[in-house]
Amino acid sequence: MAGSGNAHLRPDALLSARDLVVEFPAAGGRTVYAISGVSLDLAEGETLGLVGESGCGKSTTGRAILQLPRPTSGTVQLAGQELTELDEDDIRKVRPRLQMIYQDPISSLNPRRRVRDIVAEPLFIALENVSRRTAMAVWQDRIGELLQNLLRRAAVPLRIVGRLASVAFVLWILSETVEERAAEGWLGWTQVPAAIIGFPTLALLLLAGAIALMLGLTWVLLAVMLPFGLMSRQFGEVSSAVGLAGVVVTTGASAFMLWRTWSSFGGWAKWLNSGGLILLTAVLAVWLLLSIAKPERAGASGVATTLSAMVVLQVFYVAGLDGGIKLAVLVASAVVDALLFRWVLRRYRANRDAEREQAEPRVREVLEYVGINPDDAMDRRPWEFSGGQAQRLSIARALVSVPQVIICDEPVSSLDVSVQAQILNLLEDLKNLMGLTLVFIAHDLAVVKNVSDRVAVMYLGKLCEVSEPDAMFDEPAHPYTELLLAAIPQPDPEAELGSGRIGGELPSPMDPPSGCRFRTRCPHAAQRCIDEEPEMREIAPGRFVACHTPLVGDSAPVRVEMASAPRGES
Amino acid sequence: MPDLSGSDERPLLDVAELRTTFHTPVGPLVAVDGVEWSLRRGARLGVVGESGSGKSVMSRSIMRLLPKSRVTSTGNVSFDGIDMMSLGRRELLEMWGPQLAMVFQDPLGSLNPVMKIGKQVGEGLRVHRDLSARAARSAALGLLEEVGIPEPHRRIDEYPHQLSGGMRQRIVIAIALACSPRLLIADEPTTALDVTVQAQILDLIEAQRAERNMSLVLITHDLGIVAGRTDEIIVMYAGRIVERAPTSTLFSDMRMPYTEALFRSIPKVTDDSHARLEIIGGQPPQMTDLPLGCKFAPRCKYAQDLCFAEEPALIEVPKAAPARSSISGSADDGEPDPAAGVHLYRCFYPVGTPEAAEAFERNIASGRVSEAGVVIRTDD
Repeated sequence: MAGSGNAHLRPDALLSARDLVVEFPAAGGRTVYAISGVSLDLAEGETLGLVGESGCGKSTTGRAILQLPRPTSGTVQLAGQELTELDEDDIRKVRPRLQMIYQDPISSLNPRRRVRDIVAEPLFIALENVSRRTAMAVWQDRIGELLQNLLRRAAVPLRIVGRLASVAFVLWILSETVEERAAEGWLGWTQVPAAIIGFPTLALLLLAGAIALMLGLTWVLLAVMLPFGLMSRQFGEVSSAVGLAGVVVTTGASAFMLWRTWSSFGGWAKWLNSGGLILLTAVLAVWLLLSIAKPERAGASGVATTLSAMVVLQVFYVAGLDGGIKLAVLVASAVVDALLFRWVLRRYRANRDAEREQAEPRVREVLEYVGINPDDAMDRRPWEFSGGQAQRLSIARALVSVPQVIICDEPVSSLDVSVQAQILNLLEDLKNLMGLTLVFIAHDLAVVKNVSDRVAVMYLGKLCEVSEPDAMFDEPAHPYTELLLAAIPQPDPEAELGSGRIGGELPSPMDPPSGCRFRTRCPHAAQRCIDEEPEMREIAPGRFVACHTPLVGDSAPVRVEMASAPRGES
Repeated sequence: MPDLSGSDERPLLDVAELRTTFHTPVGPLVAVDGVEWSLRRGARLGVVGESGSGKSVMSRSIMRLLPKSRVTSTGNVSFDGIDMMSLGRRELLEMWGPQLAMVFQDPLGSLNPVMKIGKQVGEGLRVHRDLSARAARSAALGLLEEVGIPEPHRRIDEYPHQLSGGMRQRIVIAIALACSPRLLIADEPTTALDVTVQAQILDLIEAQRAERNMSLVLITHDLGIVAGRTDEIIVMYAGRIVERAPTSTLFSDMRMPYTEALFRSIPKVTDDSHARLEIIGGQPPQMTDLPLGCKFAPRCKYAQDLCFAEEPALIEVPKAAPARSSISGSADDGEPDPAAGVHLYRCFYPVGTPEAAEAFERNIASGRVSEAGVVIRTDD
C-alpha cells in the first residue's frame, strides 16, 4: 500500500490537497518522512474520514492543509485559492474559512479566559485584526519578534553578564571610599547622606531588575516552549512583553553598572545629562502616545514594550540626578508610571468591552447551536465544564467565523462513549444545518464510518485506500484496511476474536520501507511490493486502492494472480 | 506457583459493602457506595461505566492505593481469606506484586522516566523473591520476551521515553506480571492506545492470564472491550453497581436501562454510515448532590415518579432460563461456579418487560422523552 497517485481526485472539489509532503528534521541530520505525497479532496458538504494508527501522519495531513506548518511541498487549494503560496497575513485571512477542532477539549481552551472571549476570538484575530493593525503596531511587533529571537539565543550569556555586572558593582561600591565616590561627583554622591540614599536605591533597582529578569526569562521560555496551539494570543503578548521588559530592565541596569564602573564618563554621559536623555524620553513618549491612541490587541505588546523602555530610561535619568532630588524624581516617576499603566489598562478594558458587546450576538448564536446555554456559560471558564461540554465549546469556536471547512483532529477520542455519541450527532446536525464540509481524523473505524461520506485510510505517510464507507467496511480492498477492521472490539460476546490480527508496530518514518510501505506487516506481501510502489487506482466505481494485490475488484488478471498466490503461500 | 486448582469453591476476592468517601470542601463525596461482588480463581470480571462512575476508585480501594487523608474506605475486601482493609503498609507491600497487581491507563505515567526498563521490570522480583541483580535481569529479559517486546536484549537497557505507547504498556504489564500475581486489575489498559495496539494488548493480557491462571478485573468504559474477554460484567453508575451478569447474559438480556443506553450509544461498524446514534441525554450526576431516587432516573427514558422518589434495590432476575452454559471462553477448567451465574439489576422498570414499554410510552406522551428515547425535559 502506501502508494502515490492522484486517480482518486475530483475536478470540482472545494478543498484539494495534492502531493502533500511534510518532512521534519531529526537529530543527527536525519529526516522524518511524516507525509510522503498524500493527495486528498473534499466536495462541498462532504465529510472525509481520515483513519490510521498513531504516527501514520493523519494529524500532520490535517495540519498541513491548514498550513500549520506549511508542507515541505505540494499544493492545497481552497475554493480555487492556493494556500501554500500565501504569506502569513493572507493565511490569517483564510483561516476563518478553514477551522480546526482538537482532540483534547480541555487543553485546547485557555483556562484563564472566559467562554465568551474564547469563542469570539476567531472573529477578532482573523476577520478584522489584519486591517485594524496599524503600521506602528506591525513595526513594534516585528521589533519585538526580532528582540525575542535575539534574546532566545542570548538569554544565557545575558544572564551571565548581568550577574558579573552586579558582582562588579558591589565590589566597586565596597572598594571605594565614600569620599572617593563623592569626589567623582557624578552619581549624586557628592554628599554622604545622598550616597546612603543612593546606594539602596540602586541596589533595589538592581534587585528588581534581577527578579524581573528571572520572571522574564521564565515567561519567554514558557512562551517559546509551549506548543503554539496551546498559547492564546494574549498569553503570548503578555509573556513576550513581560519577558522583554524584564530583560530590558536588567540588561539596561547591568550595562549601566558596567559602564559606570569602568569609565569615568566622557561624551555619552555628558550628552545624556545635557538633554540627550530628555530627547530620548520625548521620542519614546511620542511612540507610547501613538500606540496608546490605538490600543487594539495587536498593539498591546507594543505598548508594553514602550512602557518598559521608558522605565529603563527613568533608571538612567534618576541615577544621573543629584542628591535629594533623586528620591523625589524617583517617587514622581513611579507615580507617573502607575498612572500611565492604569490609563493603558483602562483603554484596553474599554476596547475589550466594546469588542465583547460587538461579538455577543454571534457568540450566543453559536453556543445555542452546539447545545450550550449561553446565559450559563458565557462568563465561566473552560475548566468548569466537563469534557463533552468543553468539546462543544471548541466546536462553537470553530463555527463562529462561518468556516467552509473544519478539520476535526480526533474530536471524540478522549470522550466517554455516551458523550462521544452526543458529539458525533451534534457534528452531523451542524453539518446538515450549515452545510459544513469536514475532515474527520480518527483512529476508531466505527466512529469514522458513522460520520463519513468518504473514507481515506493512511499508513506511514501514504494513502492506502479511498472509498465510500459502506463499501469499504463491507469489503475492504486494502489488506491494511482489513486488518484495521479486524482489530475493532465488537460489543458482542459471540463475535470472533483474534482473526487476522495485525502484528508488529509501525516502521520508523525516518526509514520507511521500500516499495509499498505496508509490506513489512502485510500478510500478502510479494516481491513486487518490495520493488515497486503501488499507484492509487480505481478498482470499482468510487473505490480507489494503492495496492498491487487488492482484495476486491474486477480489474482482474493481475488481481487474481497476485492476490491468490501469496495468500496461498503464507 | 500458587494453587492452580480452579475448582476451589471459595472466591479469590470477595468485596462486600465497600464504601469509599472523599471528604471534599463541598461535603462528602461517596465515590463507591456499597459495592458487592466476588471473583473466583482464574475468572475474568469486566467493570464498565462512564468517567466518574467510581470504577477506578473501587479498584484503588481494593488495592488500598488511596491516600490516607480526606478519604475513608469501609467495608470488607477479602483476598483469599486475607482482610485487605486491616493490612498495614508493610503487609500491603507484601501483597502488591505476588498477590495483586495493577495496570494503569497511562503507561508513561506508570513508569519511572529515569530508570532503565530492565531495572523497573526486575525491581519487584528483587524485593519479593530476593533475587540478585543478575538473576533479576535475566528474569526481566524473559518477561520482556513473554510480553512480546522485540529485541529484548536491546530494550532492557533503554528508558521508557524511547518506546512507543504500545511497547510501554507491554512493559507495564511485564512489571505487573513479574511476581506472578494471582489477581491482575487492569484499569483502562488500552484507552490511551490505538485500535490495532489495543487488540494486541488485550490479547496479551488474555494469553498471560490463561497461562498463569490469574484472575482478571478489566475496567473500561467501552462495552466492546469486555464483550469477548470477560466471564462476568459489572456495570457501575454513580458509585453503585446497577447491573451484574455473566457476559453473554448481559448482552443478550440486559435489564438496566443504563446498560442499554450505554450499549446503544456505541457506534458499530456493522451499522450503516450516518446511522443516528442513540445518546444518553443530560449529564452524569453531581456526585456531591445525588438525586433522591434512582441515580440514573433523570437521564432514563423509562423513569416514572417512583424512580425519582425511591432508589431501587439490586435484585436478581428470576431464573427462567439460566444462560450459564453459553458463556464462551470462560476459565480453562470450566468448573461451574454458582455465584458467577447471578444476574442482578437495579431498576423498577427493567428493559424488555411490558412495564418498561408502558413507562416509555407514558414518558413520550407526557413530553419528557423524545420518540428517539432521549430525555428532553428534566423534572428537577
